[in-house]
Amino acid sequence: MSETRDVIIVGGGHNGLVAAFYLAKAGFKPLVLERRAHVGGAAITEEFHPGFRCSTLAHNAGPLRADIVRDMQLEKHGLKFTTPDVNTVSLTPDGRALILYSDTKKAAQEIAQWSQKDAASYSDFGAALGKIGKVIGEALLLTPPNIDSPDRGDLWGMLKTGRSIRRLGKKDMYRVLRWGPMAAADLVAEFFDTEPLRATIAARGIFGTFLGPWSAGSALVLMLRAAGDPSPAGSVQFPAGGAGAITQAMAAAAKQVGAEIRTGAEIAEIRVKDGVATGVVLASGEEIAARAVVSNADPKRTLMRLVDPAHLTPDFVQKIKNYRCTGTVAKINLALSALPEFTALNAKGNGNLLRGRIQISPEIDYLERAFDESKYGNFSRSPYIEITIPSLSDPSLAPAGEHVMSVYMQYAPYKLKDGNWDSQREMLGEAVVKTISQYAPNFPQTILSGQIITPKDLEETYGLTGGHIFHGELALDQFFTMRPLLDWARYQTPVERLYLCGNGTHPGTGLTGGSGANAAREIAKTLRK
Amino acid sequence: MIKNGRASGVVLANGDEIYADVVSSSVDPRLTYTRMIEPGNLPDDFLEGVNRYKFRGSSGKVNMALDGLPNFKCMPGVGAHLRGAMSISPSVEYMEKAYDEAKYGHWSSHPYIDMVIPTLTDTSLAPPGKHILSCFVQYAPYKLAPGLDWDTEKEKFGDNVVNTIAEYAPNIKDIILHRQVVTPLDLEREWGLSEGNIFQGELSLEQLFFLRPVAGWAQFRSPIKNLYMCGSATHPGGGIMGAPGRLAALEILKDGGA
Ligand SMILES: Cc1cc2nc3c(=O)[nH]c(=O)nc-3n(C[C@H](O)[C@H](O)[C@H](O)COP(=O)(O)OP(=O)(O)OC[C@H]3O[C@@H](n4cnc5c(N)ncnc54)[C@H](O)[C@@H]3O)c2cc1C
Ligand SMILES: Cc1cc2nc3c(=O)[nH]c(=O)nc-3n(C[C@H](O)[C@H](O)[C@H](O)COP(=O)(O)OP(=O)(O)OC[C@H]3O[C@@H](n4cnc5c(N)ncnc54)[C@H](O)[C@@H]3O)c2cc1C
Repeated sequence: MSETRDVIIVGGGHNGLVAAFYLAKAGFKPLVLERRAHVGGAAITEEFHPGFRCSTLAHNAGPLRADIVRDMQLEKHGLKFTTPDVNTVSLTPDGRALILYSDTKKAAQEIAQWSQKDAASYSDFGAALGKIGKVIGEALLLTPPNIDSPDRGDLWGMLKTGRSIRRLGKKDMYRVLRWGPMAAADLVAEFFDTEPLRATIAARGIFGTFLGPWSAGSALVLMLRAAGDPSPAGSVQFPAGGAGAITQAMAAAAKQVGAEIRTGAEIAEIRVKDGVATGVVLASGEEIAARAVVSNADPKRTLMRLVDPAHLTPDFVQKIKNYRCTGTVAKINLALSALPEFTALNAKGNGNLLRGRIQISPEIDYLERAFDESKYGNFSRSPYIEITIPSLSDPSLAPAGEHVMSVYMQYAPYKLKDGNWDSQREMLGEAVVKTISQYAPNFPQTILSGQIITPKDLEETYGLTGGHIFHGELALDQFFTMRPLLDWARYQTPVERLYLCGNGTHPGTGLTGGSGANAAREIAKTLRK
Repeated sequence: MIKNGRASGVVLANGDEIYADVVSSSVDPRLTYTRMIEPGNLPDDFLEGVNRYKFRGSSGKVNMALDGLPNFKCMPGVGAHLRGAMSISPSVEYMEKAYDEAKYGHWSSHPYIDMVIPTLTDTSLAPPGKHILSCFVQYAPYKLAPGLDWDTEKEKFGDNVVNTIAEYAPNIKDIILHRQVVTPLDLEREWGLSEGNIFQGELSLEQLFFLRPVAGWAQFRSPIKNLYMCGSATHPGGGIMGAPGRLAALEILKDGGA
């Protein structure tokens, strides 16, 4: 057995890398152990067809928390974002397209073609999201308070958030309270009449979750995602080089301040002795002792697979079993010989409009019906789809004149009623191609090759238990002081010196770095004691 | 009647005026504030809250006069099981599917039914040997899909309830003497429940507690002095429990009764 290491981080996803950076800055010597051949977790760029590279999983950042980008100097480490003019093109079955520009004024002009009233509401909605999102954003920076015996820091944090909420003024304060438990469908209907606009914005509230737009709490997801990003439909930011460029820059930043990173190092077990984590055992049999272990893997994987449950109380094991963590998203990456021609955009000159996000979310009921199928264990035959064509902003991702298309589809439930994902994979791909073809008839002819990633693949290849893209459902009962579990929302676990830093901890809102940065702060504090 | 921002009494439909120190409304906010009060007496943001308040009734009622007792396949014969509540809710999936139809404006083809036979505990409700079957049925959405209306759907809805029960108690059709179908539209027209919501407004989190009925106006008072609310549309909400009425009375007394 080798020397005792300082802090081991299990997994080199973006949160593990962010945690490694902040821990190294705080004077610790983190060692990141990643099971795959490269770091990045769900934020990676890979070649899936000769000459074609794509953000394999996430194709858009959360966005990243600005202070993290600054602290890690990610731009200096090569990260460069482009924000396209066109934020979202939302297609409708009658051959129209609602075009949302990144610029709010320009967006309002376009919306006016659908409804004058909605054009006016659009900036109101953006402003309300901005104000409310800022206050929620403050709460996302906090370590959730200890409910049984809040310490002074907890009380101060709650007081500050409480004050910020009050400072919003009556109207927005009531909005914060009212909106959280609502259905996203109701929330958008308070502002807009245009169906595709309603659905396109509401889609933010269902993204990655087992909720339909009519489900209670979908408005909360929308608000959480708006916390760092008040643009009504959600901003679009493409890193040159795809999502993997984000984590490559993070890895470089972490190394520069002294973190060590090893890839191809799968952890088979987290060693626990007398209730204290003492190190890890790799799949290769190698053992590494450490003062503390921080897991970037999801809570279920960490506490039910990497730790022997014998070290946990039956009550805790029961609770972690009940943690909801079954995914609904599938990902399809396509190599294209040419750009698809969307009927709705032909008259307007296709190319530039395709640089943002292209969404198939024409109406609330369409999304809800897609959800209905998944409740009974079927994937949606007419799915909610979000497309990007990153090669338009970064031509280096595909051979000259050719393109890559990155497609999220929802809903693809982890648990199928009939068959399994191996037998349904191709059918899923066909359903997606067929759906897109209804809006772009030449689409099938442009496809050279494709990669279909089912929830099962997310679990087996990318380590996301249950195929859940957020390491666990984002819902009222799994949020803030309850993420992942009530009493265990402060990055600690029942095993002493074992911590969590992944997306299954607060705030857990995707590719933002928030969980990793919060966790590092808390871990540094407890390890120093 | 409102004078100088104070409620001073009520006017009946027949024109009679009754003056009062306190007016307390046990009906929902839509009726109270948009039907019984002249426009212009309430602040805009309050009315916005009232207009946003959601009703969306989702249940109907079918009452039957029976010439005997239903004979359930799963538990044949007469017994204690008929005296309590009987529920057709065989699986979570069954209920969810019933809900799915309602989301798109159709009554459930396989509804959730909650039945009681009150005549088994109180024989005075029907002539000797006869019985009453009271069925609470979900879902029956107030707002039907385009092209459908409740007055034409009413009896079809009733037939479907009977057919559903018949799957579990095949003799039901032979013993029905009379049937009364109450749709959400009937609840609104006959019983003053807006959109047929049985609780005077949805019991969803954003309409409960300090948010019921309107954020900032959950303490039984209204923007109009001496006008109070005391029905199911106030905290703690619907159900036969009397709590809103009692809490409202306490607040009214606290204000000195006027
Ligand atoms: C298809 C898809 C689309 C998405 N789209 C978006 C989006 O548009 N916007 C957004 O904000 N978010 C999106 N997300 C979510 C976001 O990408 C994730 O929530 C985020 O990247 C999770 O980061 P993480 O560091 O917490 O965990 P991960 O990225 O999951 O990292 C965990 C790491 O731990 C490693 N690991 C696991 N077990 C072991 C072990 N035993 N030993 C060693 N290493 C191990 C894994 O290999 C992985 O590298 C998407 C995710 C997916 C899958
Ligand atoms: C079909 C159905 C089944 C139910 N089942 C149950 C159950 O099993 N358990 C349970 O706890 N609850 C149940 N409820 C709910 C419960 O009955 C109600 O929430 C409760 O009775 C409401 O009481 P309330 O006094 O607040 O209002 P209401 O009972 O609605 O009283 C309001 C009164 O105001 C009158 N009114 C309206 N407008 C005017 C006007 N302009 N002038 C004068 N009077 C007017 C109405 O006629 C009515 O009498 C059910 C309701 C329905 C409809």
